[in-house]
Amino acid sequence: MIELGSQGPVIECRSLTKRYGDVVAVDGISFTLERGTVTGFLGPNGAGKTTALRLLLGLAEPTSGGALVFGRRYRELEQPLRRVGAVLESGDYHPSRNGRDHLRVLALAAEIPPARVEEVLELVGLGRAATRRVRTYSLGMRQRLGVAAALLGDPELLILDEPANGLDPAGVRWLRTFLRDLAAAGRTVLVSSHLLAEVAQTVDQVLIIDHGRLLAQGPLNELTNADKTLEDIYLELTGSESR
Amino acid sequence: MIGQVRSELLKQRSTQTAVFLFLAMVGLVALAVAMHVLALSKTRLATNAHQLDVFQIGTRAGMLFAALAGALAITAEIRYGTIRPTFLVQPKRSPVLAAKLTVGALTGFVYGLLAEGLMAAFAAIAFSLRGIPNELTGSDYLRILLGGASAAALWAMLGVGIGALVRNQVATLVGLCAWMFLVESVSEGFVPGAAKLMPGSTGLSLAGNEHNLSIAIAASLLVGYTAAAATAGWVTTLRRDVT
Ligand SMILES: Nc1ncnc2c1ncn2[C@@H]1O[C@H](COP(=O)(O)OP(=O)(O)O)[C@@H](O)[C@H]1O
Ligand SMILES: [Mg+2]
Repeated sequence: MIELGSQGPVIECRSLTKRYGDVVAVDGISFTLERGTVTGFLGPNGAGKTTALRLLLGLAEPTSGGALVFGRRYRELEQPLRRVGAVLESGDYHPSRNGRDHLRVLALAAEIPPARVEEVLELVGLGRAATRRVRTYSLGMRQRLGVAAALLGDPELLILDEPANGLDPAGVRWLRTFLRDLAAAGRTVLVSSHLLAEVAQTVDQVLIIDHGRLLAQGPLNELTNADKTLEDIYLELTGSESR
Repeated sequence: MIGQVRSELLKQRSTQTAVFLFLAMVGLVALAVAMHVLALSKTRLATNAHQLDVFQIGTRAGMLFAALAGALAITAEIRYGTIRPTFLVQPKRSPVLAAKLTVGALTGFVYGLLAEGLMAAFAAIAFSLRGIPNELTGSDYLRILLGGASAAALWAMLGVGIGALVRNQVATLVGLCAWMFLVESVSEGFVPGAAKLMPGSTGLSLAGNEHNLSIAIAASLLVGYTAAAATAGWVTTLRRDVT
């Protein structure tokens, strides 16, 4: 099967820019992500990570520039859930809907068979909590529900916005293992974080962003060396030592 | 599109919102019957016209709760953020709105039938308790049920449109309630000529509770209001960023 753009980069941002009044949330970001890479999208709170991901996912319109996924605008993808799975930082669920119905609602709209809902519930370890209302879930369970939703279409690209937020150590370990498994399965992953420890061990390249600008990008082993850890570089670039 | 409609139906069934709305509607209709049929003097309930008048409150309740349900279908998604995964599945957005309008019309029709049915039952009981002969004919009841349910179906779509336009849940719900039971009744006192053309009044004419407008004119007006609200909400939804 030949698909449009299937040979090109998985994600391509060109001078991506978003203004909110006087605030330039995303300021001319350009980068491409190749198939099978696991990329950390790093920057302090308010750096513009979430905004950039929203632009990428067609939730917001860029002020200028553009972003392509598999060579197309997200809005133009056929069956986007089968190609891109996203977990947004906001944790989007209706508190009085149960976990299974949350996923079924999405599966119906995406024309994904109900059996897949049960599969992803098991995959993230929510099988036994499936009939509980989401309001009774712990933060870690909610994050996993988000991950389950992203996995529904068995997509080749996963976008995770601050997946480590609020997770306890067991949750962080689960996340790390999960990211490694995705990478081992050859998926492309873009994971944003304002914390380094959770992702540094898992990603093979990073994008560092602050004040909407892309400050550094490249493979981890090229940016870091014996004297300079990722943390050194990050703090140097973002000047956030004193914040 | 079928998948999107089924998804919207499951959204409605998988929270308790519909149950709460239904119970509130039963309460309102019961209260209205108690206030009117039990409190008004017998001479003011003697004729067919008087008795049809009493049904105004049932028709208004059906239209209002249908509109609340329609509005909630979109404002609850915005409030809880489920609009994000909804739009990730269907980034073109238009099919989501089309499905919400379709499901809104269906559930709105049911709200209308239930409101008028409850009204008819409560009123019949109240009439017989007070020994007032029931002057309503079979064709009166048919018009009340079908006209009231059609008006409620249109109001549900109007609610979807207003919800998509206003987006804030509390403002939308309060606005709809205030319009139905405050603005229109106050207008009846001050500008009766304009009041009879208002969306709630046109519904009363459809249900035969009011005889100011012909069915054709009342229906055209209400369809026009609904189309205007739905279009405004649609355009807003396509244009606005989801944050
Ligand atoms: N809807 C919005 N309206 C106005 N400003 C916004 C909006 N969304 C984000 N911003 C601003 O854009 C900047 C980047 O925010 P965000 O993308 O959330 O950063 P991050 O995800 O890296 O923490 C911040 O200054 C934030 O206040
Ligand atoms: Mg963020």
